[in-house]
Amino acid sequence: MNKVWSLLFLAVPVFGVATFVAAPYFNHWLPRDVSEHGRMIDHLFMFILWLTGFVFVGTEVAIFWFMWRYNDRVNREPARFMHGSHSLELVWTILPAAILLFIAIYQMDAWAGSKMRRPDIAPTAEVTGRQFEWRLRYPGPDGVLDTADDIHHVNDLHLPVGEEVLLVVKSEDVLHSFFLPNLRIKQDVVPGMKQYVWFKANETGQFDIVCAELCGWGHYKMKGQVTLESREEFDAWLAQQYEQEQATLEQTTTDEG
Amino acid sequence: MTQPFKSTRNARFLVILLAGLAALSGCGRSEPARYHLNMVEMTDKGISAQYQVEIATILEAMFGTPDEPFVLPETGLDINKLRLASGPAWSDEEGTNHGLYRRHCAHCHGVTGDGAGPTALFLNPYPRDYRQGKFKFKSTERAAQPTAHDLREILRQGIPGTAMPSFRLHPSREIDALVEYVKYLSMRGQMETALANFVMFQLGEGESLSQYANVYVDELLSPIAEGWAGAEDQVIHPDPQLAPPPRNERDPEALAASIAKGRELFYGTKANCLECHGPTALGDGMTTDQDDWSKAVKQFAANHDQVTPVELGALPPRDVRPRNLRLGVFRGGRRPIDIYRRLHAGINGTPMPAVGPATPGATGTVTPDQIWNLVDYVLSLPYDATTQEPALLSNVRERL
Repeated sequence: MNKVWSLLFLAVPVFGVATFVAAPYFNHWLPRDVSEHGRMIDHLFMFILWLTGFVFVGTEVAIFWFMWRYNDRVNREPARFMHGSHSLELVWTILPAAILLFIAIYQMDAWAGSKMRRPDIAPTAEVTGRQFEWRLRYPGPDGVLDTADDIHHVNDLHLPVGEEVLLVVKSEDVLHSFFLPNLRIKQDVVPGMKQYVWFKANETGQFDIVCAELCGWGHYKMKGQVTLESREEFDAWLAQQYEQEQATLEQTTTDEG
Repeated sequence: MTQPFKSTRNARFLVILLAGLAALSGCGRSEPARYHLNMVEMTDKGISAQYQVEIATILEAMFGTPDEPFVLPETGLDINKLRLASGPAWSDEEGTNHGLYRRHCAHCHGVTGDGAGPTALFLNPYPRDYRQGKFKFKSTERAAQPTAHDLREILRQGIPGTAMPSFRLHPSREIDALVEYVKYLSMRGQMETALANFVMFQLGEGESLSQYANVYVDELLSPIAEGWAGAEDQVIHPDPQLAPPPRNERDPEALAASIAKGRELFYGTKANCLECHGPTALGDGMTTDQDDWSKAVKQFAANHDQVTPVELGALPPRDVRPRNLRLGVFRGGRRPIDIYRRLHAGINGTPMPAVGPATPGATGTVTPDQIWNLVDYVLSLPYDATTQEPALLSNVRERL
């Protein structure tokens, strides 16, 4: 019985590390990255994971060792208390502070890349979060939003691959968060504010759009889909949407639009 | 000495833990879902408790239960689609979703399709009550039922400006099943009304409904089913000769002239749009009218003082809000053809009147040409100089 508690505490780092080692084999790791900048985001994630993982394992092993070594059944000597160690306190203050400072500086470029260096291009589309769907709007042939030739759609975002894309993100009602897991994009959306996200996708395919901010009872169903396709396919799709919206007589092929 | 004390404490802890687990796992199955009668209608028509039971029994024989729907061939409904949509929500091993209606719709539209699900009270407008067979946004003449395509489009597009979201990404098999189920709930509700009317107007004193089995299928159900089956023939097709070319191919001057004409009609006495939509089209003209659903509830409250409609399960009546046409939000679709149909047939169940002819060949309040002018005007409003005033945009804070 005397060593059970220390072994139990040892199980924490063992299971903790095992979870992370096993996760990728059970397809529970980061979603496939299909963006140009995603590598940098993933690198930051891995860097911080290794750093915190190292400290976590070290701390847990130290706890285990103290519990094992100073078990009260084998150590009959009374405990000795000590009070204050100036140098120790300095070490455990300066070391984490230095690490935090390092991370703060190390991530600056990634932050600036995704939040500050907005490309000087016209928005490809505007995404408006709403309980519980994503309303989409594309500028028409005039290339400007908020004019009579805008193209309206919902939940089914199409975007060109291999080029810089700028999206305007807004909310119509409450807080939402526009999350494109495969593109490593996540932006909180605040009613009354206009936010921008930009990225360059480098693979075609269909990926999820999800809401990452609890926005009401239907939050979990606020799911959309982004279709990344070649410029030609995208233009053709957009032209078809445009035609449907501009037509005065019913088109016969509207069903799968 | 301490041993027995410790074990009682442990036992007590174990009992609490087990009780907590049982509560979490939802031990004990809830009662199966049931359809309920429209008590406002039953009370209003003076249907006695005995006849209510008879009506409920006949409805169950004709339509089954929420877990096991049933349909007579006369309805033209597909039972396989209904089975996919009905019952409790679950997914089988192949990932096929069952119980779609309760998964996606019932919390607003209610298990019976009465538009009074648990979330309904928080929503404005209220969710649609299917039981009258009245639908607002459709391609057909005012009094006609919507086509399956209309209902499918509502599910795919959602209704912007209301709480109805889009189900665009759901497979068409699921959408078709839900469309069928909405038709089914609607027919069931219409049949309920027909039976109540039959009891009220046709049935002799003390007679039982059950002896009229042939009547309620042939004379009551058939006309309801025909209304749904005939919806395709009621679709409004504007004359292609009179329709303007697609908007992107319009001559800007001709479009501007048409918008000007539409504006004149908007403020004119014939179309009289401003009376409800307001002199600035902000939807602030008439604010004291109700839609048919709220009207019925108000009417009931005025005629009965023993019981309130809310006590009988109705939602508190609300005044209708005419659309603010400058928002650029069009509930029933924003294509010119959608706006044309909205103007031509009005919006069923609401004070929005039809300006087109009531029957093909008849003369409407305004001509088809003029409806197209109004379409152009309405579609121009969100981009009008007044709408785009900087004052309206000033509280949009731009980051960066």
